[in-house]
Amino acid sequence: MSEYRGLRRAHILANHILRSPPPSSNLSLTPEVCLQYSPPELNESYGFDIKEMRKLLDGHNLEDRDWLYGLMMQSNLFNRKEIGGKVFVSPDYNQTMEQQRQISMKRILYLLENGVFQGWLTETGPEAELNKFALYEVCGIYDYSLSAKLGVHFLLWGNAVKFFGTKRHHEKWLKDTEDYVVKGCFAMTELGHGTNVRGIETVTTYDPTTEEFVISTPCESAQKYWIGEAANHANHAIVISQLSINGTNQGVHVFIAQIRDQDGNICPNVRIADCGHKIGLNGVDNGRIWFDNLRIPRENLLNSVADVLSDGKYVSSIKDPDQRFGAFLAPLTSGRVTIASSAIYSAKLGLAVAIRYSLSRRAFSVAANGPEVLLLDYPSHQRRLLPLLAKTYAMSFAVNDLKMIYVKRTPETNKAIHVVSSGFKAVLTWHNMRTLQECREAIGGQGLKTENRVGHLKGEYDVQTTFEGDNNVLMQLVSKALFAEYVSCKKRNKPFKGLGLEHMNSPRPVLPTQLTSSTLRCSQFQKNVFCLRERDLLERFTSEVAELQGRGESREFSFLLNHQLSEDLSKAFTEKAILQTVLDAEAKLPPGSVKELLGLVRSMYALISLEEDPSLLRYGHLSRDNVGDVRREVCKLCGELRPHALALVASFGIPDAFLSPIAFNWVEANAWSSL
Amino acid sequence: MASHSQVLVEEKSSVRILTLNRPSQLNALCLDMISRLLQLFLAYEEDPSVKLVILKGQGRAFCAGGDALPLVRDIVQGKWRLAANFVTYQYTLNYVLATYSKPQVSILNGIVMGGGAGLSIHGRFRIATENTVFAMPETALGLFPDVGASYFLSRLPGFFGEYVGLTGARLDGAEMLASGLATHFVPSTRLTALEEDLCKVGTSDPSFVSTILDAYTQHPHLKQKSAYLRQVLDVIDRCFSRRTVEEILSALERETTQEPNDWISTIIGALKKASPSSLKISLRSIREGRLQGVGECLIREYRMACHVFKGEISKDFVEGCRAILIDKDRNPKWEPRRLEDMKDGMVDKYFEKVEEEEGWEDLKLLPRNNLHASAMATPKL
Repeated sequence: MSEYRGLRRAHILANHILRSPPPSSNLSLTPEVCLQYSPPELNESYGFDIKEMRKLLDGHNLEDRDWLYGLMMQSNLFNRKEIGGKVFVSPDYNQTMEQQRQISMKRILYLLENGVFQGWLTETGPEAELNKFALYEVCGIYDYSLSAKLGVHFLLWGNAVKFFGTKRHHEKWLKDTEDYVVKGCFAMTELGHGTNVRGIETVTTYDPTTEEFVISTPCESAQKYWIGEAANHANHAIVISQLSINGTNQGVHVFIAQIRDQDGNICPNVRIADCGHKIGLNGVDNGRIWFDNLRIPRENLLNSVADVLSDGKYVSSIKDPDQRFGAFLAPLTSGRVTIASSAIYSAKLGLAVAIRYSLSRRAFSVAANGPEVLLLDYPSHQRRLLPLLAKTYAMSFAVNDLKMIYVKRTPETNKAIHVVSSGFKAVLTWHNMRTLQECREAIGGQGLKTENRVGHLKGEYDVQTTFEGDNNVLMQLVSKALFAEYVSCKKRNKPFKGLGLEHMNSPRPVLPTQLTSSTLRCSQFQKNVFCLRERDLLERFTSEVAELQGRGESREFSFLLNHQLSEDLSKAFTEKAILQTVLDAEAKLPPGSVKELLGLVRSMYALISLEEDPSLLRYGHLSRDNVGDVRREVCKLCGELRPHALALVASFGIPDAFLSPIAFNWVEANAWSSL
Repeated sequence: MASHSQVLVEEKSSVRILTLNRPSQLNALCLDMISRLLQLFLAYEEDPSVKLVILKGQGRAFCAGGDALPLVRDIVQGKWRLAANFVTYQYTLNYVLATYSKPQVSILNGIVMGGGAGLSIHGRFRIATENTVFAMPETALGLFPDVGASYFLSRLPGFFGEYVGLTGARLDGAEMLASGLATHFVPSTRLTALEEDLCKVGTSDPSFVSTILDAYTQHPHLKQKSAYLRQVLDVIDRCFSRRTVEEILSALERETTQEPNDWISTIIGALKKASPSSLKISLRSIREGRLQGVGECLIREYRMACHVFKGEISKDFVEGCRAILIDKDRNPKWEPRRLEDMKDGMVDKYFEKVEEEEGWEDLKLLPRNNLHASAMATPKL
């Protein structure tokens, strides 16, 4: 068997050569003593299967995601550049606003030609929706302008037609929307009203003589504002407007209006202006719209909930205007789901870049003449980045869970989706902004270059805390929903069911007075603290509101006065919901290194959340000693996660080309020869 | 020893010239040749007196690939682990070349296929000539483009890599240069002079080698029917960018109905003749490879190769070799027979570890100091 001999020979030789000591370095001023980039992969090892971890984090449609990453990398439209021997793709932010808008549209048309949007509106069911979510997320990793433009067209315009419209609208618009024959926008927000949709001032009346609706902008504060795609590209708009029939306001309704002709000229009785240059998302053409008694056919009322007959009679299957309003807005939840998920991908991007850099950049020596220390070997640097990494992991599971509930939604789960998506949207987008800022600082001056992405993402993603509902208002909505649930269960003397409040039916958990390391890392303990905090805050909030109401104040006013408790409560609810999704994911895993790592990450998530929340100390759930124990444990966990930092960001599955030069050989990328 | 005469070694001051010397087999690689090359390359990397390594082939081939017949023999005898051992060494060599710290020049004056591509394309300089014929013919053999091809094919411009990897299309020297598979084109009559000049190199700085090569290189015109002409390339990009093999095929068929066309029909023909399972795993492999480093690509390809050899999901490799190399009836009976019978779940299997196989492990790559594979040369479009 000469083959085996050959194998053995080569093996022995390889071992011999690789184990021989390196030649002794001479210390003259040769290039070798200059600072060299050393790839983190050389010194860090993967303690778990990063492919398995990526499967958990991305959750679904991995192959489709990879296909889309590849589509973008292989096209010159995506501003492909070779820097330091690697290929990178990211938008050129040195382009003018107009150029950015045009290139975004061209990119969309390229993706369209390759079938990326196939079935986004015409196919239904969980599989189609998850595919859409996955591809949408990948677009956002390349450029949030790209995904925001897609979001306007498919999730706002397209979904409005799909959910508010009936058969005649579906047949007329959905396929054409998917093929970009029609370019849609969504005109809801006005100068004077944003999150408070019910207050919008645009008015639509009905003219039975011509069987047309007449849309008008009665005052300057009623101009439609921030309407994505309106400034340049959209030719049709969903118009959200009050409907006035014979002088009676029937509340907010949804209409379709054509705003440009096929050649792109603005239609008569429509005026459009540009919102101008923004702190980010300049690839999106946000515009303002005024309607000067614009006439549209009667069929253009999206009539799934209410209709106006040809003679002008108003009919609706839902009599109560409040419920009708709720029915109108319920389908828009998908926007919040995608915002929350893209926020987490943005945080992943920032962390992947900052952590890779911190594993290759050194600063200061601890001992005189000693080697400079790797950034991530400083406990303080670990403390800055690793808790944010753990939170990003936890929130990644949370948003996957939300997506699954959303795609399998039923009328019974609508309320839970509404409440949970509100909380997640707010908490996850805030988390992203905070993470990006920390990552930008952690990269130092290099973070200021748009080429390195992280700093610039702050401007791009900032709007997430505002659109589809201001974060603060959404959090108040969570507290109000919990209040309503509490009052209703107490009144009817029924056990709690849903929204994760079932723990309220059991006796209050008792926390141990001494917190050892193993107690702090125990999932049952962590769950108990989170439940106790939520329960206590909910009871305090409801009793405070009830007390004020007892003194004759209105419920709304009582909420207002208790805004601090409301804020604590909604945060406690959301953080507990997030923790629960990690525990659920962990429970499904077989024993092994992935599960172990996830356990560490979960403990870090739980303990950093406790460390950062003064309400535990304020209301006496944790003692001063306890809080000190938590703080020490966070530091210990930082040290334990440190060896896994590279593997944890590698598991994000974001291809190198979508990170940035600073995440790789930044010496070569900045060398004179690379100019 | 036989293995030594199959790889000839010439020492010219700081330069080593290695010649694959198995001309009757078109220099197909056997295990002895691979282990000899691995030994030599590792030794040269450590030897400070060696500055440059030149690799070429005796006769009309550079290298026609790995020698498949012994592998098939082992597999048929139930010893697929021997075949896996073979690729372990082959991929290890590919990895060493991809991360080699000294410049190498491969002179591709003849046939370069499969394993021959793995031996050359990962290296720093690849010289094509008017005699070069390049192809990755694996899908016709029931295999998939391995030897790190998922790394270098996926890095070709646009979706040319999918085209080359799935259809097994033959490229000439001009096309190799245009696509970036070759870094230089030198007429074969000038090779002797070039070699002499290269032997004067006394440094491992690749820019010196580059200067010498640039002085010899020419820019040949693409043939009139070349697949690398803009209008053809546009069609290739439009079709081979699609999500699945089925969608690629139907995109190509749409193109022919719009404008009947010989070369599109040839492409469709090649895809229809290839093994359905090979096509599907090859496409997935190239797509994943595009997002991975060369080491990750080889580790994944090793898993895939083991599944192919083990033959639990499909035995197309044995069947393909029978039809093309042994019986030569050129009429393989693929199983699964149709693309739609090769389900996603079956494709997934190829990318997983080989479970329930005692002692099986993922490919362990040698630790290297130079992790970055040299970037594919930027082609001139």
